[in-house]
Amino acid sequence: MSSVAPLPQATSPSAAQVLDALDTVLLGKREQSTLALACILARGHLLIEDVPGVGKTTLARAFGQLLGLPWTRVQFTNDLLPADVVGVSIFDSKSQEFRFQPGPVFTSLLLADEINRAPAKAQSALLEAMEERQVTVDGVTRELPNPFFVIATQNPGEQRGVFGLPESQLDRFLVGISLGYPALEQERELLAKGDTRSAVDGLQPLLDHSTLLTWMNAIDDVHMADSVLQYLHELIIASRIDGNGLSPRAALGLVRASRAYAFVNEQDHVLPDDVKAVFSSVAGHRLTGSVRAGTTAANRITDSVTAP
Amino acid sequence: MNWPKLDLRGTGAPLIMESTSLLALAALLVLVQLPHVLYLPIWISAFGIALIGLRVYARQTPNHVRWRYIFSTPAITVIAVVGALLIRAHYGYFLGRDPSVAFLFILVSLKFAEYRRSADATLLLGLSCILLLTQYFYSQSILSALVTIPAVFALGHALAVLRDPSHASAKRPQLKLIGTLLLQGLPIALLLFVLFPRLPGPLWTLPDDSMGKTGLSDSMRPGDIGNLSLSDEVAFRVEFNGAPPAAEDRYWRGPVFARFDGYTWSPEPKTVEAYPAASIPSEVEYSVMLQPHKQNWLFALDQAVSIPNVDGSITPLGNTSVFATLTTSGQLLTREPVTRVLHYTQRSAVSSRFQSPLKPSNTELQVPDNMPRTRALAKELRAKSSSDSDYARRVLARFNQMNYRYTLQPELLGDRPVDEFMFDSLQGFCEHYSSAFTLMMRAAGIPARVVTGYLGGEMNEDYMIVRQSDAHAWTEVYLDSAWQRFDPTTAVAPSRVENGVRGALPEGDVSGFRHSASFAWTRNIGLAWDSINHNWQRMIVNYNNRSQEELFEKMGLPSLALWQITALILVIAGLWCLWMLKSPLQRQKRAASPADKVWLQMEKQLRSKGIVRDHSETPQAFINRACQLLTDGGEELRCIGRTLLSARFAAMPDESAAMKAREAGEQLKRLRLEFAKPAIN
Repeated sequence: MSSVAPLPQATSPSAAQVLDALDTVLLGKREQSTLALACILARGHLLIEDVPGVGKTTLARAFGQLLGLPWTRVQFTNDLLPADVVGVSIFDSKSQEFRFQPGPVFTSLLLADEINRAPAKAQSALLEAMEERQVTVDGVTRELPNPFFVIATQNPGEQRGVFGLPESQLDRFLVGISLGYPALEQERELLAKGDTRSAVDGLQPLLDHSTLLTWMNAIDDVHMADSVLQYLHELIIASRIDGNGLSPRAALGLVRASRAYAFVNEQDHVLPDDVKAVFSSVAGHRLTGSVRAGTTAANRITDSVTAP
Repeated sequence: MNWPKLDLRGTGAPLIMESTSLLALAALLVLVQLPHVLYLPIWISAFGIALIGLRVYARQTPNHVRWRYIFSTPAITVIAVVGALLIRAHYGYFLGRDPSVAFLFILVSLKFAEYRRSADATLLLGLSCILLLTQYFYSQSILSALVTIPAVFALGHALAVLRDPSHASAKRPQLKLIGTLLLQGLPIALLLFVLFPRLPGPLWTLPDDSMGKTGLSDSMRPGDIGNLSLSDEVAFRVEFNGAPPAAEDRYWRGPVFARFDGYTWSPEPKTVEAYPAASIPSEVEYSVMLQPHKQNWLFALDQAVSIPNVDGSITPLGNTSVFATLTTSGQLLTREPVTRVLHYTQRSAVSSRFQSPLKPSNTELQVPDNMPRTRALAKELRAKSSSDSDYARRVLARFNQMNYRYTLQPELLGDRPVDEFMFDSLQGFCEHYSSAFTLMMRAAGIPARVVTGYLGGEMNEDYMIVRQSDAHAWTEVYLDSAWQRFDPTTAVAPSRVENGVRGALPEGDVSGFRHSASFAWTRNIGLAWDSINHNWQRMIVNYNNRSQEELFEKMGLPSLALWQITALILVIAGLWCLWMLKSPLQRQKRAASPADKVWLQMEKQLRSKGIVRDHSETPQAFINRACQLLTDGGEELRCIGRTLLSARFAAMPDESAAMKAREAGEQLKRLRLEFAKPAIN
């Protein structure tokens, strides 16, 4: 890469270190880790779609550990109620008044496991939290901590017991990735190492809260040349050629994600390669509702647009 | 009565805008308007320029409510309407050249006062160009072209400033930009001037409301030509096809006068078109560039044997020309007054005898009553003479021998001007002599008439200048069934023919001339300037469809009909549009930055090695792929690629990006040699 982004402090960790640490628990998924980190630095929510057991939860938990953020996990089931997510006011008989019992959403990193197993009502409870970064219960609006991310995992649509996420909610996830089965070598390594759970628990936080915020703010300073922006815009336009394409929100997200991706790669400017790298993960789940089907559609679009 | 409330403040948006572009436009408009000050009523010029000044003044407090009121759309509209009405009142009509120019002048100022958005600026640039061109309605001389040059520079400046108002402070790049703009424009202007289809004749006839009539007039009173003789103004210029005629043959025939009421000579009201003249030898062919004089006559050497055409060709006598006619009295008359510089080719048979198919009319024998002494003298002299021609000689001899004086400042004459001149004052200018001589002939029963025109002409390089000071009047007498030229002035002042008016006049009179002949150098400068003017006239102003055809012929280009040219232009414009629409990518490449150019060069170089970039392949991915495919030079390529990518996409000033691109370009050149080797092996 052409030049290294000026990092806030000489002693502070680099993005590469974070990715290296992730590599130890999620073998051979460097590209997905990079996208996930870029998504979080761009203040976006992450959607991980895959069959059960390929490491979705591991990735999410590893992030929680490495970024040093308080995190909670909600297992979405088909009988999950909104109150189970956002919290509930209960009557305190001692003080003779209602007291708000915050739900698991009041955290910095919410791991929403198997989000599409819950019915629509519970899913939409997350909606306000994700977009507004606040929660309203019983007419009282409560701010969520800063930063606040949702890392949601979902099972592929063809699995049983699945409620597809509505498009409006899909649009709120900045990046959707799919992990896929590990490569042969990595799988053998995994089998040899045994359970990764303890490895995740053993991860030491690399970033403190303020460093994370500094990194997030540094995203805005990553330069995007006119020609790159033009390329990005052409991609967006190309997505609209047949039928429903990407929304302006998605386009804005693509800009942020491209910048964050460049930042993670330790560049101070966005290359067309960065845009192309994040495009399928930003566009895929929005175009088809499924990350894996979306990747094919997104690749068709990138192939049709001339790169600068 | 309740007036509907008009919210003026609501209609006027704040007047905030870039001060630099405002000032640049103001400078442009004032420079465009200044030449018009000469031609427009003073109140219009003052009004227009004051509006611009007010708007520039308002820029200090652009948000002030007062300015929003003054420059709101309703207020501007009201001012425009009032302006239109005042212009109508001033000129008495509105649909004409001058009121329209005046109105455009006001409108441009008003548009500037209203200026708020950048779209207004673009419109103003266009308007100022039109206004700049309208001044050529009034004058097409070199000076009027020079006057527009500052405005052209201001136009370049305004274009440069408006393109990028925030960076207007850097003077040197801006000057460079203006220079480039103008220099780029020059070849296009030249090409358009030479190649753009010219219409035969002007698109519209310019109304003759701005220029006074100059030169000879359609009547002659004693003193008229004398006043003209003080003017150094050019009447016309002549280029001869061959040697110019001798000095005594340079009689340029103009209006012919036959009627005399005792004071004033006037032409015969009816003119008759002439038929083929007798073939006379010693024809001279020449082309005349006649300055506009707002009259109908053309000048030709005595005697004209052809009729000019508007396109510069010649119509032989006997054929009619739509443009001009030749009358039986030998005058060439145009059908429309000459309002622009007229270029015509003419043929003449140099002769002082003039065969007319018609017998002289009674008018040409008419003698007024207020000249009894002259009549008596005529009778007496005729009785002494043996023949008509002997009589004419005797009259000339009388002018020669008696104490007649040739002067520009004759005594004022009273009720009987002819008698008083002949017997009392004995001093006069050519019109006195020709008039008196003509009447002496008539009094003896010989038909005679006064011919006015020019006598002489000064050779300047390869052409002849005939000035107003060469204006002259002479007499034609019908003798032996032909009109014969008699010039009584030469009997008094024989040097008039050889040396011109200045040589012939007594010394005291000459002081009236602006240029004294004794200062040779002022004279030479004057002649050199006239030569420049003549060439300007000949090559620029007179460049018309005919000269264009000739030029095309010389260059071997086919001469096209107007519809063919139109079709050609449409086809070219259509192809251009198609090209612009179909290749946005090519357009991007053309506008590429230095780094993009080097990048394309690199792509080309790699393509020649068989590494072709797919159109959707991103740059970094392409470099990585190329580096993997290359057996040699991969590291250098990666390095060049890195430099180029940051030059293309990183945030840096254009100069450093260009420098990086140059650097990469040089590395690329060296690289070519390095991996040329494995390719050959």
